[in-house]
Amino acid sequence: MRYKLLIAMAAFGLVATSAQANDPIAGLANTCNNCHGTGGVSVGHSMPSIAGLSETYLKHILMEWKSGARASANMTRLIAGYTDAEIAALAKYYSKLPWTPVVQSVSADLIAKGKDVTDRCETCHGVTGGKPDDEETPRLNGQWAKYLELEMLKYRDPGFQMTHKKMIRNAQKMEQGDVETAAKYYGAQSK
Amino acid sequence: MSQINRREFVKVIAVASSAAALSIPLSACAGPGTKRAASGGAKARVVVIGGGYGGATAAKYVKMLDAAIDVTLIEPNAVYTSCPLSNEVISGHRDIKTIQIGYDGLKKRGVNVLQDFVVGVDRAKKVVTTKGGKKLEYDTLVMSPGIEFHYNNIDGYSEAVTTDIPHAWKAGEQTLLLKKQLMAMPDGGKFVIVVPKGPFRCPPGPYERASLAANYFQHSGKKKSKVIILDANDSHSKKGLFTQAWGKMYGWEKDGMGTNSMIEWVAGSQGGNVNKLDAKSKTVSSDFVDMKGDVLNIIPAHKAGKIAVDSGLVGTKGNHFEMGWCKVDPMTMASAEDPNIYTIGDSCVAGEMALYGNPNANFDMPKSAHIAMTQAKVAAAAIVAKLNGLPTPQPYYANTCYSVVGDEYGFSVAHQYRVENGTFKYIKEGSGVSPMVMPDKSPVPALYRKLEAEYADGWLRNVMADAFV
Repeated sequence: MRYKLLIAMAAFGLVATSAQANDPIAGLANTCNNCHGTGGVSVGHSMPSIAGLSETYLKHILMEWKSGARASANMTRLIAGYTDAEIAALAKYYSKLPWTPVVQSVSADLIAKGKDVTDRCETCHGVTGGKPDDEETPRLNGQWAKYLELEMLKYRDPGFQMTHKKMIRNAQKMEQGDVETAAKYYGAQSK
Repeated sequence: MSQINRREFVKVIAVASSAAALSIPLSACAGPGTKRAASGGAKARVVVIGGGYGGATAAKYVKMLDAAIDVTLIEPNAVYTSCPLSNEVISGHRDIKTIQIGYDGLKKRGVNVLQDFVVGVDRAKKVVTTKGGKKLEYDTLVMSPGIEFHYNNIDGYSEAVTTDIPHAWKAGEQTLLLKKQLMAMPDGGKFVIVVPKGPFRCPPGPYERASLAANYFQHSGKKKSKVIILDANDSHSKKGLFTQAWGKMYGWEKDGMGTNSMIEWVAGSQGGNVNKLDAKSKTVSSDFVDMKGDVLNIIPAHKAGKIAVDSGLVGTKGNHFEMGWCKVDPMTMASAEDPNIYTIGDSCVAGEMALYGNPNANFDMPKSAHIAMTQAKVAAAAIVAKLNGLPTPQPYYANTCYSVVGDEYGFSVAHQYRVENGTFKYIKEGSGVSPMVMPDKSPVPALYRKLEAEYADGWLRNVMADAFV
């Protein structure tokens, strides 16, 4: 069903027009969509949807990768070739697209357990991950659980250079077995 | 089953529609340069030859950018099998169904999909003729036929022997044949991979295949087996990363000549340049080496697809990087031979062609699915802009190519290109391979390799959907 939703999204909402053929930022964004999905809505479990994330968050993270302050297995290499102005325009472009949760069903038990183990996340990300506290915090509702789990591994690995101290601290406090539960909990949230 | 109910579904669509309506002007469709089709109500007719990653993406994006354009994709197969990650099928790590996709997604978008084979292009009349006897007029043609094998570099080799000695370099039946042979090979057997001189489709492919075969041998009680790569080239894609991984996982030592090495790589100058095959005994030979394989996999040399050659779109002089491949205008991917035809994907020459072994080897635009898709998107935007009388858009080209080489072990290469003064410019700052060591010379954390193995799967799902759905 969720794939049908994505197709419908693309058919109804994200249909571009001929004017967009000439929009340089749309052209640049097209190269991002290879990995992040048509219109920035991913169908790959390990790859995040980026459409509808806040401009502040996107710009911040892209610029941190460009400067090398924040590690990434792949994005640091890709993003360093773009100008600051292009990065700012990309962040703005994707932030204007609708956030499209891809709800991944889990059991009621997991939801209950997930609610419990994400207590520490609530302050910044909100109860469901759908209403973050500020513009610097990404939405998590209906983001791919696999991707969220992999991100948590990065925060929990001291050898992986992440930048957000509060996030590192909290990620490392979590029990090993709770990481996947938390990721699946957010992946299952629709709003 | 999804938890999205109908009400939420409708709401999401409504939000998406209004956002699109607000942010994107619906004008600029019928400028003075707008071309009308000779017949029918469509604004113009675009015909796409070839339904691989390049052709499918071009068809989808032309239709997405301007629904008033009539788009027809011609492809002989009903189901496409992805070459990327097909090595995981060969080694038993992935089911072939996960790399297959049909054309229903494109049909739903309004693309006419014709299951047929193009036998001729009349460039003067702008008509495409198919094997099924159809004649299709076009205003703009996208040529994305992929590659044509050339067997004649190796004596005794021909298309006929590929039913016994697979190439598995066009995915599908050949992929399954090679898998079947590897599964049947007893412990202690030799799996020989023959690599043609570059440029070839999927530059890291042969070495990924060797890695995953070794991984399969390890996990299936065939640890005494060997993989031998006879390479016509003197270097290869991601060489440092591959040999580092082989050292960690597959006993690679002393350039592969150590007794514990499951993988051996023979460079062209060291006898890897195969020029003879005895199909009956599965023995390949170069000027220095005779090698009998229990399983033999010969990747034939290749050039642009036959229809591109027959249509007069390939280079007829220059070095072997130029001759036999389609030359393009970097701004638009339009053919250097015909402004109404756009040549994309593995059949075209793009970038400054550098030879492997050259320190600047990363300068060339590789023949990958990812680059074919960004080429297709550049072509689609250029076609739609031209048909609507708009200026030529700024092109962006990027490549990402993941190689999965073992359990939780992957790495990648990224390339970025821009166009300056009408020529391709390789953007070094936005390109490069995964690190061999960290900046402080410490080993790369295992998590990096695990992440990239996971990203390979996510990449595959997204490129398949971005091209075909």
